[in-house]
Amino acid sequence: MIVSEVMTTKLITVTPTDTLSHAANLLRQYQFHHLPVVASSDSAAWPGYMDTGRKAMPEFQGLLTSQDIDVAAAMGRWSSSEVLHRPWQERPVIEFMHRASIRVTPSMSVAAAAQLMVERGLNCLPVVEYEQVGQDQEGRMRTVLVGLLTRSDLLLVLARLMGAFEPGMELTIQLPGGDPGSLAETLVLAAQLGIQVRSITAAPQENGVPQVATLRLGTINPSPLLVRLQEANIGYTFAGSPVE
Amino acid sequence: MSCKARLLFDSDELHYDFGPDHPLQPARLVALMDLLETSGLWQSSNKQQCLSSRPATLEELELVHTPEYIAAVQLLSQAHLAGPATEPQSKDKVGIRARQDDSRAELALKYGFADGDTPALPGMHEVSARIVGGTLVALSAVMGVPGGGSFASGDERPAHIFHPAGGLHHAWAERASGFCVYNDIAVAIAHVLRASEAKVLYIDFDAHHGDGVQRAFYDEPRVMTVSFHETGRYLFPGTGDVLELGKGVGRGYSVNVPLQPYTEDDSYIEAMEALLAPLVISFAPDVIVSQHGCDTHAWDPLTHLSLTMRGIQAQVKLTHQLADMYCDGRWVALGGGGYDLYRVVPRAWSIVWSEMSGQALPVSLPEEWVARWQPLWLGVEPQERLAQQVMGKSSIPASFPTTFMDRSQDFPAQPRRWTISSTNRHTTALVRQLLLPPSLRQAFPTLHHRSPLAGLFDLLHLQGGATPSRSRSLETEKGMLLLRDFCPPSLIERLTIDAGLRAFARLPEREHQLLLSIARRPDCALSIAHTPSGEIVGEVTLAPGDEWWEDLENVYEVGIEVSANWRGLGIAKNLLAFALDLDALEDLILYAMGLSWHWDMEGLGLQAYQYRELIARLFASQGFIEYPTTEPNVHMEPANILLARIGSRVDQRVASRFLSHLLSTPNLSGYSL
Repeated sequence: MIVSEVMTTKLITVTPTDTLSHAANLLRQYQFHHLPVVASSDSAAWPGYMDTGRKAMPEFQGLLTSQDIDVAAAMGRWSSSEVLHRPWQERPVIEFMHRASIRVTPSMSVAAAAQLMVERGLNCLPVVEYEQVGQDQEGRMRTVLVGLLTRSDLLLVLARLMGAFEPGMELTIQLPGGDPGSLAETLVLAAQLGIQVRSITAAPQENGVPQVATLRLGTINPSPLLVRLQEANIGYTFAGSPVE
Repeated sequence: MSCKARLLFDSDELHYDFGPDHPLQPARLVALMDLLETSGLWQSSNKQQCLSSRPATLEELELVHTPEYIAAVQLLSQAHLAGPATEPQSKDKVGIRARQDDSRAELALKYGFADGDTPALPGMHEVSARIVGGTLVALSAVMGVPGGGSFASGDERPAHIFHPAGGLHHAWAERASGFCVYNDIAVAIAHVLRASEAKVLYIDFDAHHGDGVQRAFYDEPRVMTVSFHETGRYLFPGTGDVLELGKGVGRGYSVNVPLQPYTEDDSYIEAMEALLAPLVISFAPDVIVSQHGCDTHAWDPLTHLSLTMRGIQAQVKLTHQLADMYCDGRWVALGGGGYDLYRVVPRAWSIVWSEMSGQALPVSLPEEWVARWQPLWLGVEPQERLAQQVMGKSSIPASFPTTFMDRSQDFPAQPRRWTISSTNRHTTALVRQLLLPPSLRQAFPTLHHRSPLAGLFDLLHLQGGATPSRSRSLETEKGMLLLRDFCPPSLIERLTIDAGLRAFARLPEREHQLLLSIARRPDCALSIAHTPSGEIVGEVTLAPGDEWWEDLENVYEVGIEVSANWRGLGIAKNLLAFALDLDALEDLILYAMGLSWHWDMEGLGLQAYQYRELIARLFASQGFIEYPTTEPNVHMEPANILLARIGSRVDQRVASRFLSHLLSTPNLSGYSL
């Protein structure tokens, strides 16, 4: 699974010259915490809204987070005596945004992106592509924003992988010694009974091998499958009660 | 009143049949109708008890289902045009057949008919539309909106209708799921929403989450869906978490109570009683639609809730009561799941009908009915037994019932009952917290019904022999004493009160009455110390906190007294330790209040502050800590003291609410600032 399959592509953006009050209003209105900052472009039909599915990709400048705005507001309060200072609401985004130098590309694996977010303590990663400007070889690179990968996106992926959006029941299959044979057999039996598989997870627990596999099956009536599992001597758990 | 109830059944509905190996068999409805007739609860010839129905129109189905889905169901519902391929066919025809089969398989996969649960069958559109029509007619008739047939006068219009073939709650707008093709409930409710201003309360008692109905009205504040079901952690369809509350303006109108596997009657009834009445009051519906899927029963092969007919009867009674009290009697009951076809379904739904029609339920099943249906059950019994076993359920004595209600000895208590019920209590508390406005939560205190001590008391009674309460002897300088906890009222009646035990009631006789009333209350625990000759010399009482503690859960007041004639012998310390040696101790918040006007300072020759110190030390030995508080009694006198012990398993939310409540100002809470 790669980043482009899970990232958010319908983005609310600001330009470096927008005011902080505009940015704060957007964050409040849409109830999120990150605004990508892109170079102002004349081509966008609605300024401030971009759908990266359409081919109007503006240059990526940086990120403005709700924290940045908090900092701006706090600083504004302390330095209010300075006559030259404008109130924070009127100051431009460019003064408070940061470059967001950690970025990922759409083809990066989701696992690697997730690890990066956890290690760096990030809530959000800009997804960018690089394109060359002009014909000449030493031409400047342009950084184009194609999406945003947030922790919420990752949580949705997790829920999807676990089959949360489809009706189904959950069954745990024992894999003695990490041998996937019993899982394979279970799947064959399920297929024979016409039972749809919603999701399979078998994450390593000990010695790098999975001890159990968790299946979500699209059936209300698991007994025919359970009978066959028992006949085939496959250990399983259903509804919290182990069956030998 | 009985003429106001009708049963809607049409023999065409029996064609809702997925084949001989399918768990859902129309035979269960045949058995039900047979039982109703033979037991005299219902006669097909009595027109006052019947209601005729009609199939739902396509336009009505489209209230909930997408036109594409309905078209697909209609197509899949047609039998293959050509017969079985026995006679030689031209190449052309084979080609057409093959292409048709391809597109049928594709449609089946796309619309949820590809798995074994809900196979596509000839005629399924017609029969499903018929069932939808039944529920729609029933609800319209009760609500008096167009589509419900006409009645001679308003008085003729039925208030209650039971439609046992209805209740197909899993069907989605664009997909068949879990044995359900069209969602009769959602269509009927949508019809009433369109035709009137009514608000509809839907209560789903099926063991599986009522996902289809919830989805259909997830953003609709005029429909409150309440589903009691086995947790979706393992069981189909996997949804139904407490936090599924609705979206948009419909937020707060989807209520889910996921219960633990092996919940059993008591815990089920407790959850239901704690939630349904306040929900009905807060929502103020015009009509109740209830789905009585009886796969909650312990004998059901697909689920684990382990109820008996007692729990199922409680559902029906409560729903009836709420409909009569708050909805002018308007109530439509539906069938639903239930896969123990002969032993459970006919009895469970007879209970629904007898309650609805106000007829007393007979004790025994008619012999002729048993004679007719027992052999059919014997035929499937080995399969049923196997299904129970692979589901991990303990083997339950297999016999065919002879009475409407279950015999409790056929249903041995499940292990881990204590853990299971406290988890369910936690779920219920969360639902209350999320979905009930604070004013209602206070109007419906839960403490008295939901005392964990009551549960513990039951647990002790069930597992022990004749004397479930513990007993221990204590040697003192003045002779031996016996300590007893969970004292039954009969014991207190036989004992007398030592003359020195009078701090609370002033007179030994009144003290005796006080102890008796405490012993009789199911939510209080009484531990005493008495002499072998039967004089009570000390007592420890545990009682739920009074109104000042509002709806705080699991908050108990500990009271202790030792007779003036038996002081200084370590009785108080020993008795307190003995009384608090409870399984549930860590789940409770215990508090004790020392009020100086109760103190026998002369008798001990102590100053008030010395006495205060004495109490603090005594309770400190059991881990109690002193807290400053605005509790009115404690607040009245500076010598008074409040000590509390917060168990380690107490929910953090409850603990912090307790601590903030200690210093709250009750005088102001009544006024909104």
